Amino acid sequence: MAKPTASLHKKQSMIGWAFLMPATLLIVAMNFIPMLQALILSFQSGIGNNLNWSGISNYIRLAGDSTFRTALINNFVYLIIQVPIMLILAIILAVLLNSKDLKLKGLWRTAIFLPCCTALVSYSIIFKTLFAYDGYINTILLNLGLLHERVNWLGNTSTAKIILILALIWRWTGYNMVFFLAGLQNIDESLYEAAKIDGAGPVKRFFTITMPLLRPTLLLTTIMSINGTLQLFDESVNLTAGGPANSTLTMSHYIYKAMFEYNPQFGYAAAMSYVIFILVAVLSFIQMKVGDKR
Amino acid sequence: MMKKKIAAAALSAVMAVSLAACGSGAQTSAPVASGDQSGNAAASDGSNTLTVWCWDAFNIDAMKKAAEIYNREHPEVTIDIQETLAKDIRTLVQTYAVGGELDALPDIFLMDDQVIAKYIQNYPEVFADLTDSGIDFSQFASSKVANSVSNGKNYGVPYDSNTVVAAYRTDYLEQAGYTVEDLTDITWDRFIEIGKDIKAKTGMPMLTNVQGEPDLLNMILQSAGISVFDENGNIALTENEGLKEAAKVYLTLVKEGILQEQTDWSGYQGSINNGTVVGTINGSWICATIMSTDQQEQSGNWAVTDMPKLNDYTGATNYSAQGGSTWAISSSSKNYDLAVDFMKTTWAGSTEFYDSILQDLGAISTWLPAADSDAYNQTSDFFGGKAIYAQIVSYGKKIPVVNKGLYWAEEKEAMGIALAKVLEGSADLDSAIAEAQATVEFNIGQ
Amino acid sequence: MKRLRLAVTYLILAVASFLSVFPLYWMIAASTNNSTDVLAGKLTFSTNLLANVTKLFAQQDVGRAFANSVFYSVILCALSLAVCSIAGYGFEIFHDKIKDCLMSVLLLAMMVPFAATLIPLFRMFTAVGLQSTWLAYVLPTLSTPFLIMLFRQSARSFPTEIVDAARIDGLNEFVIFVRVFVPTMKSTYAAATTVTFMNAWNSYLWPKVIMMSDKSQTMPMLVANLSSGFSIDYGVLMLGVLICSLPTGILFLILQKNFANGVVGAVKG
Repeated sequence: MAKPTASLHKKQSMIGWAFLMPATLLIVAMNFIPMLQALILSFQSGIGNNLNWSGISNYIRLAGDSTFRTALINNFVYLIIQVPIMLILAIILAVLLNSKDLKLKGLWRTAIFLPCCTALVSYSIIFKTLFAYDGYINTILLNLGLLHERVNWLGNTSTAKIILILALIWRWTGYNMVFFLAGLQNIDESLYEAAKIDGAGPVKRFFTITMPLLRPTLLLTTIMSINGTLQLFDESVNLTAGGPANSTLTMSHYIYKAMFEYNPQFGYAAAMSYVIFILVAVLSFIQMKVGDKR
Repeated sequence: MMKKKIAAAALSAVMAVSLAACGSGAQTSAPVASGDQSGNAAASDGSNTLTVWCWDAFNIDAMKKAAEIYNREHPEVTIDIQETLAKDIRTLVQTYAVGGELDALPDIFLMDDQVIAKYIQNYPEVFADLTDSGIDFSQFASSKVANSVSNGKNYGVPYDSNTVVAAYRTDYLEQAGYTVEDLTDITWDRFIEIGKDIKAKTGMPMLTNVQGEPDLLNMILQSAGISVFDENGNIALTENEGLKEAAKVYLTLVKEGILQEQTDWSGYQGSINNGTVVGTINGSWICATIMSTDQQEQSGNWAVTDMPKLNDYTGATNYSAQGGSTWAISSSSKNYDLAVDFMKTTWAGSTEFYDSILQDLGAISTWLPAADSDAYNQTSDFFGGKAIYAQIVSYGKKIPVVNKGLYWAEEKEAMGIALAKVLEGSADLDSAIAEAQATVEFNIGQ
Repeated sequence: MKRLRLAVTYLILAVASFLSVFPLYWMIAASTNNSTDVLAGKLTFSTNLLANVTKLFAQQDVGRAFANSVFYSVILCALSLAVCSIAGYGFEIFHDKIKDCLMSVLLLAMMVPFAATLIPLFRMFTAVGLQSTWLAYVLPTLSTPFLIMLFRQSARSFPTEIVDAARIDGLNEFVIFVRVFVPTMKSTYAAATTVTFMNAWNSYLWPKVIMMSDKSQTMPMLVANLSSGFSIDYGVLMLGVLICSLPTGILFLILQKNFANGVVGAVKG
C-alpha cells in the first residue's frame, strides 16, 4: 500500500513542477539574471561607461551619503505611517462592502477602486492644484476658521510629507481593498452562520473568523505594500519632485537621479538598489515568518 | 522555519553561482559602435529618410517648417519627426550608448543646453563630429555654440535663443502707478522697492518660480558673470561673494512676497496665464507660454524689458541666459551626408526659414544672419505693439559668459535645497551653502 | 441596532466614495474647460470639450496609441494570468519543502528597483535581437512573483476535498485545474485581471526604451507628450488623461460582479 502512494506522490510532485516551471524560468531570466548583473555592477565605479572594479567602495561611499540617509528615513516614515493606515482602511471598506444587505454594491466598489486607475499625471496635477497656495484646501480651511493664513502645503518640509502620505492612501486603498474583497469571497458563509448560532456578535465574528481567514491575503498585501513603499518612485517624482529640500525624496527616486539626472553613476546606483533589496527582503521574511502559517 | 530560511538562502546562492557566468559575460562585452543592422532601429536605413527626435509643438513645428523648405529642392527626402520628450531623449541616448545600440538612435535629435555638454563628455561616441562638415559655426552666437564644443570640436547645431527677458503686465503696473520704463535698466534693490509697493497696492507678487529649481538664481549669477565652478571645473560655492549676494536677493524676494514659489510648472504657467502675477523673468522662449493664455484681455497688456542687475557688484549686467536647445547628429547615422546637408541648408543657412519660424512660432534664432532680417523688426500686438524680437536680439549680444561645468545639474539641485532650507529657517545662508558645497563635492568624488 | 449599523456603513462608504470619485469628476470637468480655467482650478463644466477633442486628435494619433495600448495590455494580461495562475496553483496544491523555498526565492525578484535592472535587461534583449518586438514588450513583466503569490494564497483557501474528489473521478491534473479551480476562483481572477491590466496599460519606461520605432507609441506616452513643453494645454491634457484612465475603470466595472457573495460556498453546496 505504501509503494503506490509514494509513486503517486512523486508523480504529483512532478506535475507540480511542470505547472510552476514556465513562470519560474521567466522570473529567473527576466529578473535574476539582470539582478546579478546589477550586483556585479555595484562593485564597479566610475562615470557612464568608464567603469572600474572598486570592491566595496560604493557601499562604503553609501555610508557617508547624507542624501541617501535622508531618503532612507523618508521611506521609513512613509512605511510606518502610511502602510498600516491604508491596510486597515482597506480591510474596513472590504468588510463593509461585503455586508449582505448592502445596496448598490457595484457602485461603491467601483467608486472606491477608481483612484488607482487614474493616470499618474492627472492625479498629481489634481493634488497639486488642490493643495496649492491659492488652492481649494486653503480656501475651505480659511472659511471654516481652521486656519488663520494660507499654508504652502507642498512648500513646507513637514506638510509636504503629509500630503504625499495622503496621496498614497488615496490612491492605493482601493487597490488593496480589491484583494481583501477577493479574499473574503473564499470564506465559507456557513462559518458565520455557525458563529451566529453560538451567539458571537459582529465584532467577535470579525476577529475570530474574518481576520484569521484573511491572513493569507493580509500577508500578500503587507509584503506588497512594504515593497511598494520602499521602492516608492512615481509620487516622489511627480507630486513633489522630492522637495522641498529633499524632504519627500525616496531611495528609488535618488537612484534614478544618480543614473539619469546626475553624471551617470551606474555602480553607485546599483549599490543603492541592493540596500533597498536587502531591506525589503529582510522585512518580507519577517512577515513570512510571522504570517505564513498553513 | 529557520531551516526553510537557510534552504532558501542556499538555493539562491546556488542560483547566483550558476548564473554568474552568463551575467558577467554580457557585462564585460564592450559596446559595439556600429553593431548589426537589425532593421528595427529608429535610424532609417533608407537613403532618403531622416529621422528626427524632438519634443514640444514649438520644436516640432519648426522642424516641420525646415523639412518643407528643404523639400522644395529635394522632394525625394522625407523628414520623419518622432515626438520624444526631452527627458526621454536623455534616457534613451544614455541607455543606447551604454547598451551599445547606437543604431537605435535617430539621425538627428534635439538636446537641451543644460545637459548637452555633459552628454558629449560622457558619451562622445554618440555624437557626430561636425567641425569639418561645412556648417559655419562662426555664424552662430558664440555663447550658444560653446555649449556643444568639446576639445575644440563642434558636436551640435545651435537652435533657439536663451536670452533672458523680463516680461510684465503693463495694466497691473499702471494700477500701481508704474510703467515698464521704471523697471528697465534697474538694480535688484530698486526692483525690490517697486515690488513691495506693487504688492501693497495690488496684492500680487511680481514674479513666480518653480520651487527647488533655482533658475532665477542662476540667471542672476550669469548676469553678473559669477561662476560656481572655477577654471579647473571644481565647485566653488563657499567663499563666493557673488553667489552669496545673489542668494540674498533671491531670499529677500521670497520673504517679502515679491516672488511666490510654485510647486511645479503647472502652477508657474497657471500664475502667468491666469493673471495672478505681475510678470516673469525667464529665457525668451517664455513669450510663447505667455501668449498661450485663454484670457483675451491679456493681449496688448504685456511688455518686455531687460532684467534687473546685481546692484553694485563688479561686472553686473542686465542680461543673462536660461534654457534653449541644440541639434545633434548621431554618429551612427547612415545618412550623415544628407543630415549635414539638411542642417546646412536650413538651420545653418536659410534666412527665409528663420523668418518663417519667427513669424509663425515666435522662435528666436541664434543664427546671426537671421537677426539682420526685416522680420526681426516686426511688432507684436500681444506685447503692446513693440518690436520685441529686435529688442531680445540686442540683449543677446551682451550676456556674460560663465563656467557651467560638467556637474551643473548637481550644483543646481544642491543650491535649490540650500535656498529651501534657509527659507524654512532650518539653516542660515552660510551653513546651507557649505552643505551644498559638500553635496556637490560628494557627487564629484565618485 | 441593525439599522444604525447599516446607516453608519452607508455614511462611511459615501464619504470614501466621494473622496475617491472627486478627482475623477474634476478630471472630467477639466476636459471640458480651456487650459487657463483648468489651471485656475475651475470645478464646473464648460463648453470647451469639442475644441479640446479637435486639438487632441489634430496633435496626436490617439487611435493608434489606443490600439497599441489595448493590443499589448490584452496580450500581456492574458499570458500573465495563464502562466502565473497555474504556477500559483502548482505551488500550493503540490506543495512540498523545496517548492515552498522556491516561492520565497522568487519573491526576491520583485525587490530590486527597476531602474537598476533596466540596462542589463536592455542588453539582454538586444543581444538576442528581440528589440522592438511584442515579445520584448511583454516578457519582462509576464511572470511576476506577486501574481503567483496571489494565486497561491487563494488556492490555500480552496477546499482540497474537491481536488481529491476530481482525482477519484479520474480527471487528470491539468483538467482539474482548468475545469475545477479556474471557475471557482472567479474573484481572484477578477482581481488579478484588474491589476495586471492596469500595470500593463500604464507601463512607460521599458516600452519607451525597448520599442525603438515610433509605431509603438502607447497611451501613457501620448499623455506624457501632452504634459510636457513650455505652454501645456491643460484642457487637452486632461482629456487625454481621461481617455487613458477609462479602460482600467471600465474593466473593473465589468469584472466587479465577480466580487459578489458566496462563490466558493455555491460550489461546495
